[in-house]
Amino acid sequence: MGDAVLLNVVLYLPLFGIALIVAMPDGQDDRIRANSFGVMLAQFVITAILYLRFDPNIAALQFETRLPWIADWGVYYHIGLDGYNLLLVLLTAFLGPLVVAGAFSAIQKDIKLFYSMVFFIQFAMLGTFVAQDLLLFYIFWETMLIPMFLIIGIWGGERRIYATLKFVLYTAAGSILMLAALIYLVWSQYQATGTLSFAFADLFGTKLAVAEQGWLLAAFALSFAIKVPMVPLHTWLPDAHVEAPTTGSVILAGVLLKMGTYGFIKLGFPLFPQASQLAMPLIMALAVVSIVYGACLALVQTDIKKIIAYSSISHLGYVMLGLASLDLLGIQGAIIQMVSHGLTAAGLFLMVGMIYERCHTRELAAYGGLAKALPVYSVFFMILTLAAIGLPTTSGFTGEFLVLLGAFNSAWPKHLAGDSAPLVFAVIAVGGVVLGALYMLWFAQRFLYGTTKIPHGPVLDLNRREKLILAALMVPVFWLGLAPDEPMRKSEHAALHFQKLVAGAQQPDALVAAPVPFAQRRMEATR
Amino acid sequence: MNWTTLLVSMSPEHLLLVGIIVLLAVDIVFDRPRGHLPVALVAVIAATLAASALAIFGYAAAPFPGQLSVDSSAFAAKAIVLVLAIPALLLARDEFPDGPFYVLLLSSLYGACLILSADSFLTLFLGLELMSIPVYVLVLLAMKRVEATEAALKYLILGGTATAMLLMGVSLLFGFTGSLSLDAFGRLLDTGSPMAQTAVVLILLAFFLKAAIVPFHTWAPDAYEAAAVPVTGFMSTVIKAGVLLAAVRLFGFNSLSGRLVELLAILSLVSIVWGNLAAIKQTSFRRMIAYSSIAHAGYLFYAFLGDGEGRFQAVAFYALVYGLMNMLAFAALPMAADDAERDRLDNLKGLFQRAPFAAVMIAIAMFSLAGIPPLPGFVAKFLIFRNVIEAGYTLYAVLGLVGSYLGIYFYLRVLQYMFMSPAPAGLKPQPQAALALGAMLVCLVPAVILMVYPGGLLGGL
Repeated sequence: MGDAVLLNVVLYLPLFGIALIVAMPDGQDDRIRANSFGVMLAQFVITAILYLRFDPNIAALQFETRLPWIADWGVYYHIGLDGYNLLLVLLTAFLGPLVVAGAFSAIQKDIKLFYSMVFFIQFAMLGTFVAQDLLLFYIFWETMLIPMFLIIGIWGGERRIYATLKFVLYTAAGSILMLAALIYLVWSQYQATGTLSFAFADLFGTKLAVAEQGWLLAAFALSFAIKVPMVPLHTWLPDAHVEAPTTGSVILAGVLLKMGTYGFIKLGFPLFPQASQLAMPLIMALAVVSIVYGACLALVQTDIKKIIAYSSISHLGYVMLGLASLDLLGIQGAIIQMVSHGLTAAGLFLMVGMIYERCHTRELAAYGGLAKALPVYSVFFMILTLAAIGLPTTSGFTGEFLVLLGAFNSAWPKHLAGDSAPLVFAVIAVGGVVLGALYMLWFAQRFLYGTTKIPHGPVLDLNRREKLILAALMVPVFWLGLAPDEPMRKSEHAALHFQKLVAGAQQPDALVAAPVPFAQRRMEATR
Repeated sequence: MNWTTLLVSMSPEHLLLVGIIVLLAVDIVFDRPRGHLPVALVAVIAATLAASALAIFGYAAAPFPGQLSVDSSAFAAKAIVLVLAIPALLLARDEFPDGPFYVLLLSSLYGACLILSADSFLTLFLGLELMSIPVYVLVLLAMKRVEATEAALKYLILGGTATAMLLMGVSLLFGFTGSLSLDAFGRLLDTGSPMAQTAVVLILLAFFLKAAIVPFHTWAPDAYEAAAVPVTGFMSTVIKAGVLLAAVRLFGFNSLSGRLVELLAILSLVSIVWGNLAAIKQTSFRRMIAYSSIAHAGYLFYAFLGDGEGRFQAVAFYALVYGLMNMLAFAALPMAADDAERDRLDNLKGLFQRAPFAAVMIAIAMFSLAGIPPLPGFVAKFLIFRNVIEAGYTLYAVLGLVGSYLGIYFYLRVLQYMFMSPAPAGLKPQPQAALALGAMLVCLVPAVILMVYPGGLLGGL
């Protein structure tokens, strides 16, 4: 019980933070910054305690709170932690203080509103992750639009209004259909079972016809795929990233994009398993297209932020590939890859922000040879770059390697059975790793080495605050790279649960072969 | 006749009547009459409290059997209509320091209360006219602007048309059933005869006109723009809520079927889409709100596709939330040198720098009207579409939701003006009147409660 209260504290601390800084008198900018940082840090500490107390041997929801909210409709205020959301909640809480600290010098305008909005989006993101009730999830999911709209629109770059409207209209387009789908889902469940409930647990295992499932999955998937974003629904992302202030980009890349993949793993696929099985080849194809297309676009960008933005599309393609493989290793890899991308992309955007504050340009061609002038900056930048391309000992390696392993694991038996498409996808995805190394290393080479070119230079190297932020980021990057065992054990039950729900559902159509038993056998053999 | 029943069951109306009489007496007795606002305010607040209390206790009676009866949902409906009038009154003092405004507003409210407990078309007609006629005059009271006359005339003529249609429909209904009771209307719904259908459609058209459903909406933008801010607020919230809740009473628990569903769904859908699209290119705040209210009337009529039980809950909750949020936006609208200036959307540019509190209030109202969670407008919209889907009209629900998506842009544009655009040069910040602050709080506090715990009210409706 006590720990359940702690989870509520984590969720509502940001709202307390808003109240705290709104109540503070104007003109005390430094104290507002310090207090915001303090609240975020407290949130991270409590979340870390919850993480340590999380028992990996329990498959059920932990630290659960369940109270009637709109009792008439069977809507409950129901939150809790499980293997699905544990690592993402930890990631969100971990990035919180770094985001706040990263904005200390960059944001000078309307800082009360700014930190209020940062807290507000933190609240909405955590709520989306911990919600265990479909309506609650949807409310938190949509709530994220409001602070992000303001963060990009008020503190963004020149074309910020265009970018923020595009962001909101894109995301809202997806979620409006999800709303219709979720009402329909709950209603048909009510027709079938006689209990009116929005709880995730009650909605799994619907007996809907495959055609119906297909429509509903399409509505949910549209919403999630826009958020991920998967090609061809990705066009909002580069605009939003380029125009957003550093904080906005960090939140967007660090956590917000994971909402889409989290939606797929927690809801999209498990709610409609039969339809998902049929849709998997398409999902897999789109994932591979995202990996390759994102990488190719990143290769030709001249704006630093755009390179990282397109690399996000590519990296999240791996997450989708891992989920679509329905192999235990692939699923776990996808979860790790989500966290890993959150860390590296957030770090890279923070570093771009740091150099932008000094040099006021994001044109890659304007830079060169930073390694000589800014050695500390360059070291951190290189580590994050290598983590992003998946060098062993970093988090990126764990994620990408497991995803690819899972993809091959599930593709091989299908290949033997005569369906070679998954194998082709897996092979192309491996090619994507090479492309990833190519664009990131080429980027780093032009940025850090060669003749020294520093716009508005000479500039100072990182200050202590910036060093501390980046040093803090290094800890989980190497932790996930060197000892991924512990976090993976905590998410294992979720991966098994996901696999059981999606792959284990009986397909009414006997022609569709179930790939799972073989993959599982191999899993057990390798352990 | 039982006098106690009469006294208790119509106490909200009686309290309003007392207010009207006191206001008139003050006008006659004193040379320089003052104190209109407090009297009117006390009357409306007392009526609101009476209606809420009777709704909570579940009081039910029929003081005039066959003509007028009350039960807890009638009282709840009255409480919603009355509470929305409080911010309108609070906003009125600058424009109408004294004079006929308050009497007219109270009479209009009396009419609105009457239709919400009507059992026969006679009472309904009486109430509708009592509600509408003062509003024509209220629009005209803003004579500072030339367009007010034209708008009031337009409103009067179209309102008269609505009355005529209602009377024609009722006479056909009387001819067909020999009864004037609202139950007779319910029985007509399932009858296939052309005469019955005509009667139903004519009566329905009267309600469409009053609620400004496309294509009967043309009066609304003109009237909303020409009227003074408190009157616009009154029209777009109290009158709309009154008309829609009366329509719920009219339809009772009857489910709609056949062509009527198509008529209702298509006109509502067209209203949603057209209202939202036309709002995009408006440059005047009140005109924009007018088109937005046309779209919201569409959502409200969408609720009628659902079954009888959910209908009242959906319409009542939606009308309350929508009314509170509309009023909040009007209350927070910054003051300007003259009325036309105050109305310009450009005037909102950079508002956050000049008046942060007002800007945040308008922002809350806009997000809620757009139906973005966690604001209460979302739960209201969810309730409506849930009823539509539960009634089996999934396609209509999806189309309606897509229509509501079209509305997001123009609400966001207001936000963009307030937070992201620099203030135009030469604009002097005007202090916020204390009464406007009060009006904002009257809207904000219930809205926050509904946001945090909608289950409380929904369980009671």
